[in-house]
Amino acid sequence: MQVPDNGGYMVAAYVITALVVLGYALTLLYRLRRER
Amino acid sequence: MTRLERARRTARRGTILTAVALAGLAAVYVRALAFTPIERFQGPAQKIFYVHAPAAWAALLAFTITGVLSVLYLLLRDRRLDVVAASSAEVGVAFSVVMLTTGPIWGKPIWGTWWTWDARLTSTLFIFLLFTGYLVLRGALGDREVRATYSAVLGVLALVLVPFIHVTVYWFRTLHPEPIVAKPGAPSLPGVMLVTLLSSLAVFTLLYVGFIMQRYALGVVREAREEGDLDAGA
Repeated sequence: MQVPDNGGYMVAAYVITALVVLGYALTLLYRLRRER
Repeated sequence: MTRLERARRTARRGTILTAVALAGLAAVYVRALAFTPIERFQGPAQKIFYVHAPAAWAALLAFTITGVLSVLYLLLRDRRLDVVAASSAEVGVAFSVVMLTTGPIWGKPIWGTWWTWDARLTSTLFIFLLFTGYLVLRGALGDREVRATYSAVLGVLALVLVPFIHVTVYWFRTLHPEPIVAKPGAPSLPGVMLVTLLSSLAVFTLLYVGFIMQRYALGVVREAREEGDLDAGA
């Protein structure tokens, strides 16, 4: 049986996860610096 | 040590913990993408599981903690409980964004559709919208006591919704699969995949803790500013 060729979906999900997690971490850092 | 000094120390520790967790996330990516086998029937898309399920875990953990702290706030009226509850809600919304984007991206190649209005998916979207509303509500209310009370009443709903979301796959017909780890009996996953999943779950939990520490510190500083004692360092 041939394995489905759907790697693009996997890449998209991993990229979005990294963007959201890193983005949120950066907003926290930015807000903490601004409040100092 | 003053309240603000403690908050700044918590922020520093949270930042370090978050940095460690982000390094752990990078390691999970390497393990999931390069060292975990491709599932035969679903193909590479199955690997979305290693970020989708831990993000869902972290989001529902965050909302549950908001719910518990909301009940405690209504009973004890301790403002620290309100600040932690709000912090947890915000972090939960961030993880929900990951859950609600990676889910449909996984669903499209496997189910043939991005979205379906079944009980699991709809209730998950509902809790995301509920806590987005919670954050909007907090931003709209100026009086601290009113804000804490109203948002605690809203936060309590998580204690009903989170268990409901968990059982939807048993109670209703849904495309969403049943749990393969959080269920009675042994996990139905090969060892190498299970290790990747558990590593990712640990990393997302660590991220949650790091985020909460920073967000809590931010909440304390903002409260101090509202009270006008930021410069006094009270």
